Amino acid sequence: MANDPNSTPQGISLSEFNQRITNAIATSRDTQGQWVRGEIIDMRVNRHCYFELIEKDDAGNTVARLGAAIWGNTFMALAAQFAAVTGSQLGNGMKVLVKISANFHKAFGIKAIVEDIDPNFTLGDLARQRREIIERLTREGVIDMNRELPWALVPQRIAVISAEGAAGYGDFMNQLENNPYRLKFYTHLFAATMQGQNTVPTVMAALDRINNNIELFDCVVLIRGGGASSDLNSFDNYDLAATIAQFPIPVIVGIGHERDVTVLDYVAAMRVKTPTAAAEFLIGRGSDALVALDQMQNAVVASVRDSLARAREQLTYCTGVISPAARRVIDTARTRLDGLAQAVPTAASAHLTAASTRLDHQVELLRNGVAQLLRTQDQRLQMLTDKVALLSPRNILNRGYSLTMCNGHFITDSTQLHEGDVITNHFKNGSVRSTVETIKD
Amino acid sequence: MEENNEKMTYTQAVTELEGIVKKMQDPECSIDNLSDYTKRAKTLLEVCRTKLTATDEELKGILDNL
Repeated sequence: MANDPNSTPQGISLSEFNQRITNAIATSRDTQGQWVRGEIIDMRVNRHCYFELIEKDDAGNTVARLGAAIWGNTFMALAAQFAAVTGSQLGNGMKVLVKISANFHKAFGIKAIVEDIDPNFTLGDLARQRREIIERLTREGVIDMNRELPWALVPQRIAVISAEGAAGYGDFMNQLENNPYRLKFYTHLFAATMQGQNTVPTVMAALDRINNNIELFDCVVLIRGGGASSDLNSFDNYDLAATIAQFPIPVIVGIGHERDVTVLDYVAAMRVKTPTAAAEFLIGRGSDALVALDQMQNAVVASVRDSLARAREQLTYCTGVISPAARRVIDTARTRLDGLAQAVPTAASAHLTAASTRLDHQVELLRNGVAQLLRTQDQRLQMLTDKVALLSPRNILNRGYSLTMCNGHFITDSTQLHEGDVITNHFKNGSVRSTVETIKD
Repeated sequence: MEENNEKMTYTQAVTELEGIVKKMQDPECSIDNLSDYTKRAKTLLEVCRTKLTATDEELKGILDNL
């Protein structure tokens, strides 16, 4: 076909052909303003943002690829919105949902021009990635290991991982060195790249060096710049998180911003928002210790004072106790005496009353007895009187008997008389004088 | 005891100090022990404060040369 010069077509210029492609693409609705899922690699920003949008299969092989661009003004607006929602800067390795239109430039070929980005898609994907890492660390039983490590009472020996000359590192060091408590801190910087693809390998290398001198340090502080360009995505890395989780001394992570969370925040012993906050935390531990020392000093002084006061009190108490005790003994004795004193008259009067009653009774008995006795004697006397009366010589004389007397004596026996004695015979009505003539037996 | 103060760690010193304070705060604490306890507490407080605020040149040197 091409052999015939006459029939040889003139052809069109490449630019004309490319123009046709351009026109074809521009008029095809299927390639304009479409939401497309992909992953960003090889991103570079030079007023405009250029990157490669790729698609990977489950095995991780790249199965589709297209150059993409975000023009300057659009990029500024989208990047700000993206950072606001995700807390991360648009960067390599991110899964994105972008609204693109295919554009064929006659000099540079085909490109996807990005008109919009849905940050929520990326946010969801980042969260999913983080969740997967956290789940894996949990499953492996290492997630809490660093957080459960005991802290030095006052962490003073600090291994710092940061970018040399970074503003955040300077802030951290200033804060530590000029602390108002004059606490002493010993730091050593283990420099690392804190953003981009070198983040993980350099931080891991720094951790490795620290681990080789682990007995020199109380904790690790991982801080970074503080500049606006944050690329936290680099820290959402399983290997780095696992290493920190199993690190033998506590790690303080201060790489995030207010609303950012990376997986490191889940595994590190302490999470702070800024390098300054990391320094404040360490100073806080130190000042707490100083306060505790002051309190113990006060406690010592107070204990001595209390002990002495207690001893004095004891003495005073003893002194106070002795005299009341003595007084109490005396009081008790006195009370007892009083009791006895009262009891004696009572008991005595009781006794007297009883005795008196008994006595009265006796008197009564006596009186009765005497009366009885008198009565009896009286009767007896009467009887005797009667008897005497009966037996009186007069009564005998009255009954006809006579009484013989001689020289004033009663004569009751004939032998009392002698012949010639003058005797007198008394009769009831007179007497007879006679002289004894004869005495006969 | 005195010679070892330099070599005590902060944790050791503060732990011993806490023990002494506790003993001193015990109402049963004998007044005869007060003087010894107070002396030891003072030494330990000094050790602790020094650890926190004075420069350990040896450690500084090691870290500088790391």
